[in-house]
Amino acid sequence: MQSRERVNKTTTNRIALGVIWLAAIATVGALGTILLYVIVNGIGQLTPAFIFSWPHGVNMEGGIWPTIQATLYVTILAMLITTPVAVLAAVYLAEYAVQGRLVQIIRFAADSLASVPSIVMGLFGLAAFVEGMGMGFSVMAAALALAFLLLPIIMRTTEEAIRAVPKYIRWGSYGLGASKWQTVSRIVLPSATPRIITGVILAAGRAAGETAVVIYTMGTMINAPILPTQPGRTMPVHLLLLAQEGINLPAAFGTALLLVLMVLAFNLTARYIVSRNRRMLG
Amino acid sequence: MGPMSLRRSAARVLVLAVVLPAMLVSGCSSRAGAAKTELTVTGSTTILPIAEVAAEMFHEQHADLRVLVAGVGSSAGIESVTKGTSDIGTSSRDLKPEEKSLGLVDTPIAFDAIAVIVNPSNPVRALTTKQAADIFEGKITNWKDVGGSDQLIWLVNRDEASGTREAFSKIVLGGAPFDPKSAVLPGTGQVRSVVADSATSVGYISLGFVDKSVKAVSIDGIQPTEKTVADGTYPVSRVLHFFTKGKPSGLAKQYVDFVLSSAVQSKVVRDAGFLPVAEGRK
Amino acid sequence: MTLDPKPDDRAVRLSEGSGRPNADAAPSAGSGLSTISRATYFKEAALQNLFLVCACVAVAGVALIFLFVGWRGWPIFAKVGLFNFLGGYVWHPTKGDFGILTLIVNSMLATLGALALGAPLAIGTAVFLSEVANPRIRDLVRPAVELLAGIPSVVYGFFGLVLLRPIIAKFSGGLGFGLFTVWIILAVMILPTIAAISEDALRSVPEGIREASYAMGATKWQTIWRVLLPAAKIGIIDAIILGMGRAIGETMAVVMVAGNAPVIPNGIFAPFLTLTTVIVMDMPYAAGDHRTALFGVAIILFVISMIFVATIRIISRFGKEVG
Repeated sequence: MQSRERVNKTTTNRIALGVIWLAAIATVGALGTILLYVIVNGIGQLTPAFIFSWPHGVNMEGGIWPTIQATLYVTILAMLITTPVAVLAAVYLAEYAVQGRLVQIIRFAADSLASVPSIVMGLFGLAAFVEGMGMGFSVMAAALALAFLLLPIIMRTTEEAIRAVPKYIRWGSYGLGASKWQTVSRIVLPSATPRIITGVILAAGRAAGETAVVIYTMGTMINAPILPTQPGRTMPVHLLLLAQEGINLPAAFGTALLLVLMVLAFNLTARYIVSRNRRMLG
Repeated sequence: MGPMSLRRSAARVLVLAVVLPAMLVSGCSSRAGAAKTELTVTGSTTILPIAEVAAEMFHEQHADLRVLVAGVGSSAGIESVTKGTSDIGTSSRDLKPEEKSLGLVDTPIAFDAIAVIVNPSNPVRALTTKQAADIFEGKITNWKDVGGSDQLIWLVNRDEASGTREAFSKIVLGGAPFDPKSAVLPGTGQVRSVVADSATSVGYISLGFVDKSVKAVSIDGIQPTEKTVADGTYPVSRVLHFFTKGKPSGLAKQYVDFVLSSAVQSKVVRDAGFLPVAEGRK
Repeated sequence: MTLDPKPDDRAVRLSEGSGRPNADAAPSAGSGLSTISRATYFKEAALQNLFLVCACVAVAGVALIFLFVGWRGWPIFAKVGLFNFLGGYVWHPTKGDFGILTLIVNSMLATLGALALGAPLAIGTAVFLSEVANPRIRDLVRPAVELLAGIPSVVYGFFGLVLLRPIIAKFSGGLGFGLFTVWIILAVMILPTIAAISEDALRSVPEGIREASYAMGATKWQTIWRVLLPAAKIGIIDAIILGMGRAIGETMAVVMVAGNAPVIPNGIFAPFLTLTTVIVMDMPYAAGDHRTALFGVAIILFVISMIFVATIRIISRFGKEVG
C-alpha cells in the first residue's frame, strides 16, 4: 500500500515535470518557428537595394527606405519626449513620494495607461493631436501618442532600477551632507543608469514595432519625413498594408525580417548593457 | 570609472538622438520647402497601381515635381478631394447621389471588369448573375445547387472601403446585403490567395489580378476577357475615375493629361489588367 | 537667523539628512548658513514639485484619453442609447445598426480560448524557469520568453496569415480564418506576459517553504502543486488578468487571421469580428455616426481595460489582507 503510493508519487512527479519541460519547449519552439520562418523567407530580400531604395511600381517593388526613416524618426522623437518625463516621474515615485492617496492615484493611472489597448491609443492620438490640435497626420502626432503609450513602461523600469540601488549608498551621501537632489542626481541616478537605459531601449523596441498607434497618427503615405509635421509610413504599417493587400509578399517578408532584426538588436543591446553592468558591479 | 564611462555612453546616445533628426532635416530641407511641387492623389486601391506607376513615370520626366499616391478606398478618396486634403480623388465607383453636388469633375481613366473567382479544383465553370447574387447573399449555401459537388460554400468578401465591393454589390447584388457570415478581407491579393488555398471558397477580384492560382467563372455565359469587357458584353464591369474639385488645373491637369497619354494608357493601364478609356465603351 | 523655522524644518525633512550647506550647492555663498539653507530648500522644493508634475502626466494621460475619445464617441451613446449600443447584436453601421454585443461576445470568445491555451503553457514555463530548469537552460529559455514579448504584433499577424492560415484551411476545409487560428496566435502573444509575472510570483515565495516541503518527503511536483502554486496564487491570477487585458486589446495580429465577419461564428473555423478589429477594418471609410460608433467602441475597450486593472488592485489588496 505504502510502496504503491510511493511509486505513484514518483511517477506522477516524473510525468508532471515532463509536462513542465514540454511547456518550456513549446515556448522556445514557438519563438524558434516564428524566427526561422521569417528569416528563411525574408533573408533573400535583405539586399542593400531593398534597405536603401524607395518602393516603386505596381506593388511596392524595390526598397523600403522611407519606411525605415519614418520608423527611426518617430521612435527617436517619442523617446526624446517621453524619457525625461518618465524618468523624473519614476524619481518622484521611488524617492520622494510618501504613501498616500495621491501616490495611489498616480500608480493606478500608470497601470491603466499601461493597459490601454494600442488601438485606443491610436484613436486618442487621432482625436487629440491629428484632429483636435490640428497637427494632421504627422511624425509629431505619432510621437506624442507613442509617448503616452511608453510613459508607464519607462516609469516602471526606471522605478525598479532606482529601487534596486542599495539604501546604504544614499545614507553615505546624506552623511556627507548632500541634499536630497544631490543624492538623487549624483549618486542614485548614475548607479541606476544602466538599468534605466535598458528599459528605455526595450521601450524603443516597442515603439518601433507599434502599428495601431502610428497608423492613425502618421497615416500610410510613403514619405521620408524630414520635419516632424510631415506624414509617413512606418515599417510595421508597411508590413500590415503589404500583408493585407497580399500581392507583394516577398517585400512583406523582407520588412518583417528587418523589423524582427531591429527588435532583436534592441534586445541584445539591452542585454549587453545589463551584463556589462553586472560584471562591473561584481 | 564605471559610472563615468556609462554616463559618457548615455550622453553619446543622447547626442545621436538629437543630431540624427537634425541631420535629416538639414540634409534634405531643399525638398521640403516649396508647396506647389507636390500633388496628393488618394482613393481607390484598385486604381492605386495605375496612379502610382504613373506618378513615378511622371516624376522621372519632371524631377522637381512629386505626386504622392495613397490607397485608402474610393469613398475616402472622394471625401478627401472634397475636403481639399488631396488634389485628386480616385474612385472605382460612380458618385453617389449625395456626392453629385460637391462640385467634383470626373475624368474616366480606364475600364475594369470584376471576375468571380473559385478554386481551380472547383468543377463549377459558369454562373448566372442571379446565382452569383444568391451565393453572395447567402441564399445558396451549397455548391451542389449550382452544379458543383456537395460542399458548403465559403464566401470571401471585400471590406466596405473597397470600390470593388461597392461595384460588385451594385452590379451583381443590386444593392442587396452580402451574407454577413462571409469573410471580409481588406485586399485583392489576399482574396486571391485565400481562394487559391480553399477548395470550397468563392470570391471576386478585378480581372487584372486574376492569375493561374484561381479560376474566373463565366457570368451569364460570358467569360471575362478584354474583348468581352471592351465590347460591353461582360456584365460585371465599371469605369475608373479621377475626381478633381473643379476642372483639373495646374499640376493636377499636367498629371491627369499624363495618365490619359498613350504612354500610361497603353502600357501601365494594360499591365495592371485594365482597359484604356480610348479603346473602351463610350 | 531671520528665517522662520518652518521651511528650515522642511528642508531638513526633505533631505533626510541635514540642511547643511555644501560648497557645490552654494556658488554665491557669502552671507552664511541660513540663507544657503533657504536657497537649497527652494531648489529642492521646486525640483520635487517638478517631479510630482511629471508623475501626474500619467494621470493627465488617462484623463486626456477619456476626454478626447469620449468627446468623439459619446454622441453615439446619446443617439442610440447605451443599452442599445451594448445590447444590440446587429452591427451593420452603414444601415444604421450599431449593436456591439456580437463584437463583445466575439472578443470574449477569442480571449478566453487564448487564455485556455496560453495560460497553462505560460504558467508551465514560469514553473520551469523558477523551479525546474538549471541555470544554464534557464539562461536560454528566459531570453526566448523576453523575445516573444518583443516581437511586434503585426509580425505575429503576418506569421499567422501566411503560415498558419493556409495550414488550418487545409485541415478544416474552411478558409483558415477564425477562432482557432486567433487562439493559437494570441496564446503565444500573451504567453510572455503571464510567464514573466507568474515567475516573479513563484520566486517571491520564500526558500524556507520549499525546504520545509521537501523535508516532509514531498516530491518536486508535490511541492510545486500543493505548496508553491497556492502560495503564488495571487500573483498568478494577476498575471492571467493582465494576459486577458493584452488579449482583448490585441488588434493587428487578430485582424489578419480573424476573417472579420460581424456575426457570432458558427464554429471555431468560421470568420468573426471583434471590438478591436472592427476599428481597423472600418476606420478607413467610416464617416458620421459610423465613425462616432468606432470611438464608442474604443471607450468600451478602455473601460474594459480599466476594469481589469481595478480587479488586479482589488485582488492584490485582498491577498495582502488574507496573507
